[in-house]
Amino acid sequence: MKNEQGKPKKYGMVVDLDKCTGCGACMVACMSENNVPFKADESNKRDSITWMRVYKITNGKPFPDTENCFLPRPCMHCEGQHGHSPCVSVCPATATDYSTETGIVSQIYTRCFGCRYCMGACPYHARHFNWWDPVWPDGMEKSLSPNVSVRMRGIVEKCSFCFHRYQAAMDKAMMEGRKELEESEYQTSCTQACPSGAITFGDLNNPKHAVYELKKNPNAFRLLERLGTNPKVYYVSSREWVRRAGDNYIKGEWENKQNAKK
Amino acid sequence: MKIDRRSFLSLGVGFGAGIALSPLPWKLTDDSSIWTQMWPWTPVPERGESRYVNSVCTLCPGGCGISVRKVEDRAVKIEGQKGHPVSNGGICLLGLSGLQLLYGPYRVKYPMKRREDAKRGQGKWQKISWDEAMSEVAKKLGDAKDKTACIMDSDKGTVPQLFKTLLTGLGSPNFMRTPSVEDSFELALLKTCGYPASAGFDLENADFVLSFGAGLLEGWGAPVRTFKANSLWKDKKVPVIQIEPRLSNTAAKSDKWIPVNPGTESELALGIAHVLIKEGLAKAEVSDSFKKIVSEGYAPDTVARITGVEAGVIVGLAKSFAAASKPLALCGRGKGATPISLNETLAVYALNALMGNINQEGGLFAVPQPDYIKWAKTNSNASVSKLLYGKDASLKALLVANANPLYSLPDTQAVKTALDKIPFIVSFSSYMDETAQYADIILPNHCYLERYEDVPAPAGYHKPLIGLSRPVVKPQFNTKHTGDVVIAIAKAMGAELPYDSYETCLKETFGDTWEAFQKDGVLTADFTPPAPSGKIELNETSLKPVALEGESSAFPLVLVPFDSMRLSGSSIGEPPFVIKTVDDTILFKNDICIEINPKTAQSYNLSDGKYARLTTPKGSAKVRVHLYEGIMPGVIAMPRGLGHTPGFTGNDKYLAGKGVNVNELMGSAECPDGLNAAYGIRAKLERA
Amino acid sequence: MGTEEKQIKHAADHAAEGAGGGPILFFIIGLAIALGIGWIAFPKALYSQKQQPFDFSHSLHNGLVDNGCESCHFFREDGSYAGVPKLAQCIGCHEDVQGSTPEEKVFVEEYVKKGKEVPWLIYSRQPDCVFFSHAAHVKVAKMKCEECHGPIGESKNLKPYEQNRITGYSRDIWGQNIAGIKTHTYDRMKMDDCADCHKERGVKASSVQTERDACFVCHK
Repeated sequence: MKNEQGKPKKYGMVVDLDKCTGCGACMVACMSENNVPFKADESNKRDSITWMRVYKITNGKPFPDTENCFLPRPCMHCEGQHGHSPCVSVCPATATDYSTETGIVSQIYTRCFGCRYCMGACPYHARHFNWWDPVWPDGMEKSLSPNVSVRMRGIVEKCSFCFHRYQAAMDKAMMEGRKELEESEYQTSCTQACPSGAITFGDLNNPKHAVYELKKNPNAFRLLERLGTNPKVYYVSSREWVRRAGDNYIKGEWENKQNAKK
Repeated sequence: MKIDRRSFLSLGVGFGAGIALSPLPWKLTDDSSIWTQMWPWTPVPERGESRYVNSVCTLCPGGCGISVRKVEDRAVKIEGQKGHPVSNGGICLLGLSGLQLLYGPYRVKYPMKRREDAKRGQGKWQKISWDEAMSEVAKKLGDAKDKTACIMDSDKGTVPQLFKTLLTGLGSPNFMRTPSVEDSFELALLKTCGYPASAGFDLENADFVLSFGAGLLEGWGAPVRTFKANSLWKDKKVPVIQIEPRLSNTAAKSDKWIPVNPGTESELALGIAHVLIKEGLAKAEVSDSFKKIVSEGYAPDTVARITGVEAGVIVGLAKSFAAASKPLALCGRGKGATPISLNETLAVYALNALMGNINQEGGLFAVPQPDYIKWAKTNSNASVSKLLYGKDASLKALLVANANPLYSLPDTQAVKTALDKIPFIVSFSSYMDETAQYADIILPNHCYLERYEDVPAPAGYHKPLIGLSRPVVKPQFNTKHTGDVVIAIAKAMGAELPYDSYETCLKETFGDTWEAFQKDGVLTADFTPPAPSGKIELNETSLKPVALEGESSAFPLVLVPFDSMRLSGSSIGEPPFVIKTVDDTILFKNDICIEINPKTAQSYNLSDGKYARLTTPKGSAKVRVHLYEGIMPGVIAMPRGLGHTPGFTGNDKYLAGKGVNVNELMGSAECPDGLNAAYGIRAKLERA
Repeated sequence: MGTEEKQIKHAADHAAEGAGGGPILFFIIGLAIALGIGWIAFPKALYSQKQQPFDFSHSLHNGLVDNGCESCHFFREDGSYAGVPKLAQCIGCHEDVQGSTPEEKVFVEEYVKKGKEVPWLIYSRQPDCVFFSHAAHVKVAKMKCEECHGPIGESKNLKPYEQNRITGYSRDIWGQNIAGIKTHTYDRMKMDDCADCHKERGVKASSVQTERDACFVCHK
């Protein structure tokens, strides 16, 4: 479906790292919205399922010149070249797919057979494998949402930009005879919850959506952009060392890039 | 006929061909592949109609508005309530995971009594009926009379008022509130403004923020509101200066972090006041006695020596503070879970007063205590330090409601010793928390999403406001509203109370405003703050930095607890979702990590990930070392909010046994004004 | 064993004694047994049968309401589809017994008076991984209910609910025909049936992998 400008929709995010406080509300908003399981020990972050994870990064300088910054990392919903995002390209099961209608990389749990190629392909660690059956303590299954399928052991899961919210919003729009969504009608759970308003979500192709302008901020950058993943999550930071941390640069390369910008 | 091998083969081939020509193999393949895609033991949440119910979150003193999404009769998601005056659509991670408390394994499901053959804390319980439970409590309180005490996390609102009424009926003044920075604020405002008030900060309108250790992004005040204010400051380019020994999230997001020797914030504030006065930058008058003390004793050079902040920086801070049109100075360590000294509070108050921003836009407000409860006159006045830490062992009964002193008060062992001397402990907790585990009888309250309750005065809010928490779902277990239980017990003991049920009590307390209150979920009131007097009287007998417990020779390091949004650190334990967000540099498997500067670590020959034994005069713990450049050398920081003990269900493996409760290592530093202003304790570290 | 079969057996015995007849006979026997198992016994064994709590006549109700199917199976305001009506909707008419059928009496006495929801077994319930938008099909594509659900509105009784013992799905998803052959649009409700129709109607091919409509259109 195309937006009013005739371009296909391309949902994406702009995260203001100056505002992000690392409080973790986005992480829990995501877990609670998407029936993300938990287990007794979640301190091994490699097997801890967090569709949205806030990383703490540092400028590496000694006391008292140390600085920290927090970086929330959902799935980047890479567009790659014409929708060939790293994970979509390698999936042998058609379990993950790129939609040219919304720009969202889907993960169909019933289709996935757990080969984990996609996890190897994803440079952002945005994909998580269910090593165990999800178990909720007695009674806690009552808090599960029917809008998102509960995943089983042996499959990969990841952030969907709360696609079920898009489906629900479209249902309402269609009911009212509309084919288009207002910006506010479809917002991800993390965006909605963020107490700092650091996350902005919308259609990157739609000039009426806030993200359209925000992504053009000179301080905006994307993670590991040079891999050609063409991610749809933008970050904005006024601190140079944070922007520089978004990719790996060889000596002098960053400086050249800055000079070129001027 | 001869049946030979060929016949069998033919039969087999025929059978095979027949099966292949039937739908059986194809259908079975399809079905079994479907089966492997959706194992029957994976839960399938039931569908249904969805709707939202608004309420107020009471998991912390913030009083945020929440909007709970329900599918049929199940609550499936908690979201922020748009348009709520405190939180306006925002929500924190603890509020978001509230359903795990509602439906979780921590709930106390029915009234319980400690089995007679069991000691306290052994976890052996006997299920009893509500009638039995309440009559037993009534009988025991009747015996204890004025030797009864009560502790709660708040002393405002109808439920605390009911407890106070019950105590007054028994002739006891022993109502205690869990100590927090509110104690310091209230005392300071009473002394300076002359009326009982809570501290409110007009964060949104300030244009320069000078924070003395206030964990603005760690859960200070009403956390969501503070977060929103912080973002507003970013938009308006309001400078935020954070003063504390550790690079906290607040410090990391501030415009300038000024590391200061732990416990010397007070001196730094007075040093800045000194510059303001000396340089004629003050915009309002304050007491002469204050001016005299500050002018004589707090020259930048002196203060620099104490605080470790260069004199030039102090002068610069004072000048930029004074140059702003609405500067605001804040205090309260971390979330504000512990009091700070009266002098520190007064020193920070003075900075605001000198700028003339007391009760002014963008400034500090002395918000009058809510006085909407007219039905009872009670006389309650007791302090935790006397009743729980003092030598007084006369208490006969202790009522614990919405509080968990055995976990959240410093020096856990001392609290335990005090509780051991009290023959009868009643817990009203909804959850099997540490104090409930140590009680003799538990009368479980409805969970916060199952009950009505008025929630007055959100922490740090600068206008009078009352929120209404209301039932989102029906009670899940055989629990009873504590308000109803207290009314019933009071009546059984012959006390005079005009209400039969808590709901009537609440409705009639609000009278004509009830309907609007029900509808909007909040009640606001106008108030015209009086002009400030400028009166500030420092306690001259304690004009030295707070002295910590322990000899510096035996304990060369200083241990400070630190707060984080990702650990509630309050009376309520963290639900699984919250624990899941905790970094592996704070909790590694079941081991707590301490932050230590690499320089300090080097002198102990410790590297990152190594284990060590941390000892304070109060206790000792095995800790994992996390090297952190964001902490002052000589200081060790330890997260507050871990180390919960297992509850009775055996099913709380998500929280129990993880890390160490920092309060077990903490002590006290009593100030002359009765506040325990211990910001840390002296400690030593050995390689394990 | 019928006479006919006996004869065949007899003939087969003879043949076996002769040259080379045995293997063919046994082949046919094997084939017959297997076909019998595959076509007759297997479907019976595969599906369990459950009766609905009580019988219900769609045709009777259809004659009494003004708005066809949507009178009881309606959209909620948020665009979601309510599906099988809840007690609250039925009470509008059935607060007390209206007619004379024993089923209605059971309904009123066992459910309405006790305020208990009827545990209907839903023939067309899709598995949990499916997000089916009734709004897209009914409101936008203007499809008739019958296209997927068949002439259920004309039924006088409720058929037994058959459940696949392996997958737990209702038999209506695979369809009554065990070979999966369909003659009507409403005979099956498998993913391929959705996909075929989508392809036919030119629903936008937005999937990079399949060049058909993307997975997230109907999955959650």
